[in-house]
Amino acid sequence: MGIPGQEKLWDKEEKGHRTYNDVRIFTDDQLNNYTEEELKNFKNKHDIPMLEELEKGPWPSFVSDLKREALHRRKLGKDNLMIEQDVAEDLLGLMELSYKEGETHWKHGGIVGVLGYGGGVIGRYCDQQQKFPAIAHFHTVRVAQPGGKFYTTDYLRTFCDIAEYRGSGITNLHGSTGDMVILGTFTDQLEPIFFDLTHDLGVDLGGSGSNLRTPSDCIGPARCEFACYDTLDMCYNLTMTYQDELHRPAFPYKFKFKFDGCPNGCVASIARSDMAFIGTWKDDIRINQDAVQEYVANKIPRDGGGMSGKDWGKFDIQAEVIDLCPTKCMNWDGKKLTINNAECNRCMHCINTMPEALRIGKDTGVSILLGAKAPILEGAQMSVLTIPFAYAKNPYDNIKNGVISKIFDWWIEEGKNRERLGELIQRMGLKTLIEVLGIPAMPQMVKEPRSNPYVFFKEEEVPGGWTRDINDYRSRHPR
Amino acid sequence: MGREEDIRQAILDYGSKGAKSKFYFKDMLAGVKKVIPDAGASEVKNVASKMVAEGVMEYFSTGSSTMYGVKGRGISVEKSGDSGG
Repeated sequence: MGIPGQEKLWDKEEKGHRTYNDVRIFTDDQLNNYTEEELKNFKNKHDIPMLEELEKGPWPSFVSDLKREALHRRKLGKDNLMIEQDVAEDLLGLMELSYKEGETHWKHGGIVGVLGYGGGVIGRYCDQQQKFPAIAHFHTVRVAQPGGKFYTTDYLRTFCDIAEYRGSGITNLHGSTGDMVILGTFTDQLEPIFFDLTHDLGVDLGGSGSNLRTPSDCIGPARCEFACYDTLDMCYNLTMTYQDELHRPAFPYKFKFKFDGCPNGCVASIARSDMAFIGTWKDDIRINQDAVQEYVANKIPRDGGGMSGKDWGKFDIQAEVIDLCPTKCMNWDGKKLTINNAECNRCMHCINTMPEALRIGKDTGVSILLGAKAPILEGAQMSVLTIPFAYAKNPYDNIKNGVISKIFDWWIEEGKNRERLGELIQRMGLKTLIEVLGIPAMPQMVKEPRSNPYVFFKEEEVPGGWTRDINDYRSRHPR
Repeated sequence: MGREEDIRQAILDYGSKGAKSKFYFKDMLAGVKKVIPDAGASEVKNVASKMVAEGVMEYFSTGSSTMYGVKGRGISVEKSGDSGG
């Protein structure tokens, strides 16, 4: 971290031995350097009456948090910090001004980054630099989160030390895409931050701009019995494969992969990613009839115990499971539970309600959905189920070659500037998409029959083509 | 000249002579294709990435989308804080 004797490179051999104490910047006394009494008497260098109003409500307030940080940095002293110590104080002052005027004082974007990277750092500058010099630059650094967001406390402490020492000390865990975010630093600290992150934490910057954004996954098989594939491995593997797309922009706009281990969708990939991978199974839901009986007899708590703490009455399998099945594919005759698996649409309700009785199938893989996005150009869109089932096994070549590379090539070629994949699909039609992927049209792709008949046959697909013998036709269809 | 040099020159010409000092990758690719019709997206990207690493080109990012520019033309790192970038 630029501290003498601590510049040792991070590497895989050593990572098991590196602890926070090896790389820490601040002592315990420095980290706990103010009393609650001092906080009570803290006076921000700018008056902030409107912001202080926000502290009076019932909820935890970011204003209170920023005051803590302001006091903490004031007591750390400028000799222990690489950028101005009163960042949080100026930030509060600027916000008060914006609240007063109803206008922002942030300028957007610029040429900041680390060498060779076209993403990961977002330039922010204040347009009131004379008045608030500590936030003249307030760049955001996106740091890739580990798979499933599993951290050690050592990791988090080191991250926080870097953010404090070289930045404002203000962080966002996590940004919408999942990254850990260092909010607010100066241009001259970007390369040192990158050095510290890569050498001390062994972590890379996340994505921003017209790049592949930091792929994000659920906790997967690490802690969840519903995981239909190894989300952690697939997320890591694809992140490593597409490093160039993450750091060196050539896309028309942002692109997001997200990995949900099962259709419960804990990372909401179906709504938040251009390419969503959702775990599913091909065979049948496994049923343990004995356990079903125990649920019915109230011997096993429903919802994995999630409804305990209040008397919800006796478990009623008919009302709480069978009748709620969206495709009505379940039946309970009082003794035996049966499922018409061909009709199951993976809503997961029955499995969530009776996890000891019902389990996902054994022949598992992923469904791939394309085109979700938040509303910027067009409105918000959910993704379209495009590949109903693919096996997801390392090294994922079937998915990389069969889907991802085809999509990237098509989108780079045809997509307009700032056009997301979902908008390209909308503009060119799902028919073009399935041609690009070389997959057949399915009846399920038609959302409402006769309202979006986007699948038209080509002449070569129709026996006999467009020409016909009218006499032959009339022999069978008289006028 | 070799092919890489040709692409490099085409990028530089596009970036130095065009109306805009910052441009999208796609527009740059179209500019290169006018000179070298069979230039592929990944080929141009790789050359552009090298030019960024060498300090000839630079990225301009708004956070949501990214543009390329020839270093020294238009807003620079030093000025981006003061010029409304």
